[in-house]
Amino acid sequence: MTQLLLFNVTNGLIIGAFYVLMALGLSLILNLSNVINFAHGGFLVIGGYIAYTLTPYVGFWGGLLIAPPLTAAIGFAVERVLIRPLYGRDPLYSLLLTFGLAFIIEDGTRFFWGAQGKPVTVPAFLATPLSYDFFFITGYRLFMVTVVVLTVALLFLFLRYTKLGVRIRAGTLDLETVAALGINIRMLRSINFAAGIFLAGLSGVLAAGQLGLEPTMGTGLLMPSFIAIIVGGVGSLTGTLLGGLLIGVASGVTAMFFPAASEAVMYVLMAVVLLVRPRGLLGEEGMLT
Amino acid sequence: MSNPFSSITADRRSVLKGAAAVGAMQIATPFVIPVRAADNIKMGMVDPLTGVYAAPAGNEVMGAKLAVEKINAKGGILGRQVELLVEDSANDVGTGVQKARKLIERDNVNFIIGDVNSGIAAAIAQVTAEKKVLHVVSGGHTDTITGKDCHWNVYRVCNTTRMEANSVSDLLYNKYGKKWHFITPDYAFGHTLYDACAANLKKLGGTVTGNELTPLGTTDFSPYLIKARAAKPDVLLLLVQGSDMINCLKQIVQFGLDKQIHVAGTQQELESLAGLPPEARIGIWMFEWYWKQPNVPHVAEFVADIRKVNGGKVPTARHWFGYTSAMTFALVANQQKTLDAVKLAQALSDFELPPEVKLQPNKVYYRKGDHQLMTSAFIGEAVSKGKDDPEDLFKVDSVVAGDKTAPPVADTGCTVKWPA
Repeated sequence: MTQLLLFNVTNGLIIGAFYVLMALGLSLILNLSNVINFAHGGFLVIGGYIAYTLTPYVGFWGGLLIAPPLTAAIGFAVERVLIRPLYGRDPLYSLLLTFGLAFIIEDGTRFFWGAQGKPVTVPAFLATPLSYDFFFITGYRLFMVTVVVLTVALLFLFLRYTKLGVRIRAGTLDLETVAALGINIRMLRSINFAAGIFLAGLSGVLAAGQLGLEPTMGTGLLMPSFIAIIVGGVGSLTGTLLGGLLIGVASGVTAMFFPAASEAVMYVLMAVVLLVRPRGLLGEEGMLT
Repeated sequence: MSNPFSSITADRRSVLKGAAAVGAMQIATPFVIPVRAADNIKMGMVDPLTGVYAAPAGNEVMGAKLAVEKINAKGGILGRQVELLVEDSANDVGTGVQKARKLIERDNVNFIIGDVNSGIAAAIAQVTAEKKVLHVVSGGHTDTITGKDCHWNVYRVCNTTRMEANSVSDLLYNKYGKKWHFITPDYAFGHTLYDACAANLKKLGGTVTGNELTPLGTTDFSPYLIKARAAKPDVLLLLVQGSDMINCLKQIVQFGLDKQIHVAGTQQELESLAGLPPEARIGIWMFEWYWKQPNVPHVAEFVADIRKVNGGKVPTARHWFGYTSAMTFALVANQQKTLDAVKLAQALSDFELPPEVKLQPNKVYYRKGDHQLMTSAFIGEAVSKGKDDPEDLFKVDSVVAGDKTAPPVADTGCTVKWPA
């Protein structure tokens, strides 16, 4: 029993790492632009399909390198054309826009690539378990976790040490003052949105290696990411990280004892956090509206 | 600003509203608005064109459209042209029922086809019975539809879960072993399929080591697979379908479980095998119809017709379900020369499908006692890569007639009550 529990906790951490990648992208966009991006799952799917389309020409690794920036470029264009006109209005406008965009992306992928799932093969040396006992830790899953850790570290360094990162952080605190200092906040928002979508695209390529690539793939992964943000605390990227790992472990462990509640436990966790600590685990008091 | 990952402002209430809207997204659906003429015969079709069953549902619709084209080319039904009105149930029971009511009450359809999802098919059957509309369930497998909840107006093309279980249980027991562990989708289809398999296993003298009920649309199967392996079964039976089947099989192979436990199941579909990488196309399964039947009349013609409208791809069992469902209405109505639902439903009892519709070697007919189509089971093994055709992903070992896999009518629990 102890071994089984240990297995599930480890497994939950691996799954949680994936939620973290999704949720960090969402969180970046939400924090600076106050846009709740419902189309994030859709961008994940676009990333997966771009990689699938490129793989015959550039291989898996080429797809992994090219698809996320291409997805980010699409995100950049979407922000400039569709989302930018809605800044300054009630957040409900952008919420509804991205809600509709999610449907358009889902039907668009169905139109271009078909409703039927597409087979995605990962390099053979990654597609095997590392040991007989810990069979659920495959080379690919370990690679996924490594990519997440590296991405989180790079994101941290970017926000901490680059001029652009410092401006994004400053903008999330007080955008008006940042604008008053002569910084082009329109471009800042566009770049930040594209960075969030880059993470969605990266999640899509990684997910396609492990799950079936099909137009609805993003919908099932979007909700845990939202919950990760709420549990961790809106406004805190560290909280998002913690929230993602927590719900991954909670879901994995619950599936062991009571599978029917493995999804519900995420919502229970969210409800408990909201009741006990409404600002989330690492959300800062007074920072929320 | 010492910690760049903190002190960022945002709106928690908006996020909460957003989270609620993501939930709503699961059931919201675009509308399909067809063009129609007043004096046409109308067939209504309700299928989940969005969601996890979008691929099989789309194929059923494509098959039904081909049937309508052929029916119209031969003069339609009672000399009138036929039109197909398609609605998306969005894989949601409430939406499916609402769409069926809309088709019957507003569009005045003469017949109804649908749904892929068993739960929705069963719910729609209640509506069509209440409204006295002849209904063919194309792809919902749960036993009760032609079992204890059968209706005088409801016939079914696809197999029952009991038929599916009966087609492979003996083979799996004899070839793979007596300890079975199940991965089962947690809704009507999965429950009845599991019950049928478990009952067969008990009769054969085997044991169930566990049954993992997984929510529809599960993406990560690893917690269930960890439990399954710990139970040390001989066979891991996957009863999940659609994208769940793809995710589950893909993860099983990545974990190397197929090297330790036999992996198999009951119903497998070409849509799922095509969506899997070659290394994950494994196991013994049953197909409900298969496109490669070299010596069976009219099959090649059907395959060629579907290839024309399907981007060159071959038909799956789902195409055949849709095709047969629509053809059934035309065949029986033209034979009886009426559109009266009660008369047509009575005429369908023991109605045998002609070779150009049945597209398989055995006798295929709607059984009188429970209104279930006695259609064959194509039993065999998944193959990683097709030899002559990249879509030939299943090696059929035997084709067993429907009345050999179906339980006797007395065991189905169905008593058809005809209207006075």
